[in-house]
Amino acid sequence: MTAKALAAATGIDYREHLRLPMMPHILCPGCGHGIVLKALLRAIRSLDLDWDRLAFVAGIGCSSRLVGYIDGCTLHTTHGRALTFATGLKLARPDLTVVVITGDGDGLAIGGNHLIHAARRDVDLACLLLNNETYGMTGGQVAPTTVPGSVSTTTPRGATEPPFDACALVTAAGASFVARGATSLPLELDTLIAAAIAHRGFSFVEIESDCPEYFGRYNRLGRAPEMLQQQRRRFDEVDETLAAKRFVGAPPHAGVPRLRTGVLHERKT
Amino acid sequence: MPAESGSVLLVGVGGQGVVLSSAVAADAARRSGFDVKQSEVHGMSQRGGVVSSHLRYGPLVHSPLIGAGEADAVVALEWNEGVRAIPALRPGGTLIVSLDRIPPPSAFVDRHGGAVAYPAVAPDTLRRTVPDVRAADATSVAAAAGNARAMNSVLLGILSPLLPFPAEAWDGAIAANVPRAALEANRAAFAAGRALRFPAAPAPGTGRPRRRAPAEPPSVGSVDIVDAWCKGEDCAICVRACPEYVLGFEPDARPVRAVRPDACTACMLCEILCPDFAITVRRAAVPAGPSLVAAETT
Repeated sequence: MTAKALAAATGIDYREHLRLPMMPHILCPGCGHGIVLKALLRAIRSLDLDWDRLAFVAGIGCSSRLVGYIDGCTLHTTHGRALTFATGLKLARPDLTVVVITGDGDGLAIGGNHLIHAARRDVDLACLLLNNETYGMTGGQVAPTTVPGSVSTTTPRGATEPPFDACALVTAAGASFVARGATSLPLELDTLIAAAIAHRGFSFVEIESDCPEYFGRYNRLGRAPEMLQQQRRRFDEVDETLAAKRFVGAPPHAGVPRLRTGVLHERKT
Repeated sequence: MPAESGSVLLVGVGGQGVVLSSAVAADAARRSGFDVKQSEVHGMSQRGGVVSSHLRYGPLVHSPLIGAGEADAVVALEWNEGVRAIPALRPGGTLIVSLDRIPPPSAFVDRHGGAVAYPAVAPDTLRRTVPDVRAADATSVAAAAGNARAMNSVLLGILSPLLPFPAEAWDGAIAANVPRAALEANRAAFAAGRALRFPAAPAPGTGRPRRRAPAEPPSVGSVDIVDAWCKGEDCAICVRACPEYVLGFEPDARPVRAVRPDACTACMLCEILCPDFAITVRRAAVPAGPSLVAAETT
């Protein structure tokens, strides 16, 4: 969390970049996706990009709705095919900076094939995958990233399948920039998204977001503030002075592997 | 603290030494010629549960129990318990609290576990509720004095200047109650705690202590809210994220309001975390306040 990032956060008027007649957005109270959209707008501001040479492409889902609120060149496409449209757009107009916003269902299930091939081709796109572990828009069904044991409308006794590690997937498929961020670390998100957009080649940022309305409610994780706090605990965020104390130890994390945030893989092309 | 009588509430978690500290303080009161009564709740202690001990002394004490808002001092061996015990303090009372944090079982949170989190209250936030907070990293102080487990004696050391008991009464009480093997470590920890120095509490009515001239603007930030975009109490991220409790809801729940606008420090957390673009923080100059945490022994 740099002073630069905080300075960028203080000087921005988000309303300049929003389609005001569309606001307030349709996302549920406490949905983390709005935090990501803010970070994206800050990241673009920090890169000082020309809005006329910037395109946002999204598929279907809660996360993909975000492009509808950005006052810029946006493309809302079919389910799972955001990367396909984006690839075509980039081929036709290589001068454009193309940002893809997708979700865990859109990008990893129906669009999983397009994701790995976009990564394999190392197309110069920035893909933000907003992972909220569920299909929020259709009512909270199990997603490819749902952690085993989690309740969803289609897994009322808890999910049993192992989830995708999206970052490992696209790294193996050939992406040249892979990072993970979280809505609970919003300023770090700015720098990750900015680095992803600036990177030449397929850059992928998985962003842990929260769905308090479905995932949180079904799994009794509390509302948005509780979920944000718990998200921090997934990232080993016990500070050093506390960790050094003999009484304080992070409780062992049942079942869910600790996740690393930051840039996980980078290959200059 | 009145010289002739007083009430001290000691709180902590099982195993920290609340009951022993209370016994030492009671013995010190007795050795100083006071009548003293003490009563404790320790049923859950062996499972890491809460322990509290009421201690009252004076010329004649009829009941050991301290009512809400009656304690002259609260001694908390654990941070969360200290925060929880604030309602017991009388106005102007002293909160002596260790920075040790022991997450209660209900806060062993993971993605599928408990539903409450360990409260994230910073020492400087407490100052708004309790003017005289004496927070110390008691375990580190005790460890430096020879035995980390003597942290309860560090807190007694911090308490001791507030009570009208002579030093020899304290020393005799420690010698009579602490197990012999740990006696020297506890004596050293007590002395180290007594030597800690804290910033003076502000005079009543002055509010937040200041280093700078009062001509400085009292508030460093202000919060603008777009009412139509706020999704209200179902979200409440800003309300919970604000370290200064600036934001809150009216009884009709929506939208969020700046209920303590003067307390805003323009930290930007609410604006950055508001998913609905409803909050804008305006920033002014940033004054600094003194820290409440004792850094070194003197």
